[in-house]
Amino acid sequence: MVSNAEQGPVRQEAPEYAPGGSAATDAIVVEDVGRVYVDRRSRPTREVTALSGVSLRVAPGEVHGLLGPNGAGKTTLCKILTTTLEPTTGSARVLGRDVTGQSRAVRRSIGLVFGGDRGLYGRLSARENLWFWGAMYGLRRSRLRARAEVLLERVGLADRADSRVDTFSRGMKQRLHLARGLVGDPRVLILDEPTVGMDPVAALDFRALIGELRREGRTVLLTTHDMAEAEAVCDRVSLIDRGRLIMTESTDAVGRLLSGYERVVADDVPAELARRVEALDGVVAVRHEAGRVEVETEQPSATSAVLSVLAGAGVHRVSTARPDLGEVYLHLVGRRGMAVT
Amino acid sequence: MYPSALHLVRYGFLNAVADFKATYTWRSWLFGWLGRMFAQVLFFTGLGRVLDQPGAVRYLALGNALMTCVVDTMAVVATTSGERRAGTLSLLVASPADPVWVFVGRSLHWPISGVATASAALFGLGPIFGITWSASQVPLVVLLTALTALGTYCVGLFLAVVVVNVPRLRNVVSNCAYLAMMAFCGVQVPVGFWPRGIQAVVQAVPLTHTLRALRAVSDNRPAADVFGPVVPALLTAGLWLIAAVVTFRWLVAVPARRAGTLDLSY
Repeated sequence: MVSNAEQGPVRQEAPEYAPGGSAATDAIVVEDVGRVYVDRRSRPTREVTALSGVSLRVAPGEVHGLLGPNGAGKTTLCKILTTTLEPTTGSARVLGRDVTGQSRAVRRSIGLVFGGDRGLYGRLSARENLWFWGAMYGLRRSRLRARAEVLLERVGLADRADSRVDTFSRGMKQRLHLARGLVGDPRVLILDEPTVGMDPVAALDFRALIGELRREGRTVLLTTHDMAEAEAVCDRVSLIDRGRLIMTESTDAVGRLLSGYERVVADDVPAELARRVEALDGVVAVRHEAGRVEVETEQPSATSAVLSVLAGAGVHRVSTARPDLGEVYLHLVGRRGMAVT
Repeated sequence: MYPSALHLVRYGFLNAVADFKATYTWRSWLFGWLGRMFAQVLFFTGLGRVLDQPGAVRYLALGNALMTCVVDTMAVVATTSGERRAGTLSLLVASPADPVWVFVGRSLHWPISGVATASAALFGLGPIFGITWSASQVPLVVLLTALTALGTYCVGLFLAVVVVNVPRLRNVVSNCAYLAMMAFCGVQVPVGFWPRGIQAVVQAVPLTHTLRALRAVSDNRPAADVFGPVVPALLTAGLWLIAAVVTFRWLVAVPARRAGTLDLSY
């Protein structure tokens, strides 16, 4: 993949984007999309709503993060955009082409990468996998071979190009997945939890690669649980939960949203004092365990009040911090035992 | 540019070669697979000796020797359904390629192995049971074996695309299919033994026709008896291939997109 020296911050200036702008110029347009599954295994059969009234636009060259817990509907939206699932209601277009009515043309212009071990031919070498998938996109002979070599080099697998993929580590397979997703030279990349199972170094490399893709003008829709990843690479993020889009904002705007929240952490706090803090206006959550209290506030004045109460009670081991995107996300979707890192 | 069918078959075959290399060494093919198939031919032909009917041994030896290529070739069902297990099916469906042509190339190692297996059985075991071949018959026998493998491959492809999205059925379907062919297509008993309805149905199976042609070659019958069955064998093979393509495109992929049964894998 890219060299370690390039692993610094990869966020570039977000592309010019006017929300609600021309649907004709947007790379991805999702309009009021709903998807209902029929669960035939349950008796009686029941309908499960995976997506409901989701509308989203992604500008050309934008890296857009789609954040949500398991079962939120992220993968369902990816399936619809990659033409492997039809929406029940609404419509979606990729580069101006309808994913249902012009699915073949859509397939030609997208690359799909998902996380995990599967989706590769384990008995083929890395190079043969790229030949195979390149052939699926109509590449032939010298162009196909040249493309495979470039991508193997790009994802750092040139030295293992002739090794069978089932001998690869999970991180290596994931890098090969990325190369496979790029082999058709797609203008739009759908990355569905691509860093699942990656070690931290590989995940950093991956972020750098996303930066390269942006510089090349590709549009990327990235679904992830990882808030740090979204903050590092995305121009805008959408939060999705239970099939509904909660918000779509630039990461800068999300930063402003974060500024509304603060967190106070203090040690050696008795339970009675924690209850007094919890009763203060503007305090939205208090967690108290083994003398340590974590207080979340939704306005600066509440933070001041909490600090005053704690200081007045003689508590001196106190710190304040801004919550990260993940914590704001939890505020918005509620705490439901979700795996948010 | 969209990939052509031939291009897809060719790159599907890349997988076939890799699969075959991973499944067998020459030793395991020769002493494992071929040994198992020889044992099957010897077992059923041995039953012919017990029957003590003139011609039964010859009948069973020819039928069961050719049947080995059917058994080998029907592995196409399991290999094709492996696309879903490997998580590649949804990626194929999300690519500009027509996956069914990939499937066609993807399992070509099985009919090739099947031709080798049946040829070895016909030429290696045949003489033990009094079946000998003249030099002029050898190319015909190999061609008929290849046609049997090809026709069976098309039948297998059809069954494979039917169960590609229901992989738990892969072995049930392939085993039931070849056992039915073994029973009804003239391998163990003449087709005429069965009720008329079954006789009519097996006319749709290429093996029924190629086996009739092979018996004609073995009996030194006129060319019309040999080449006559080749026409329906080719025709039925083609129809099964068309059925596979149509079924995948319209009765598997389209409903799967609507029902949401194509998984993105993790």
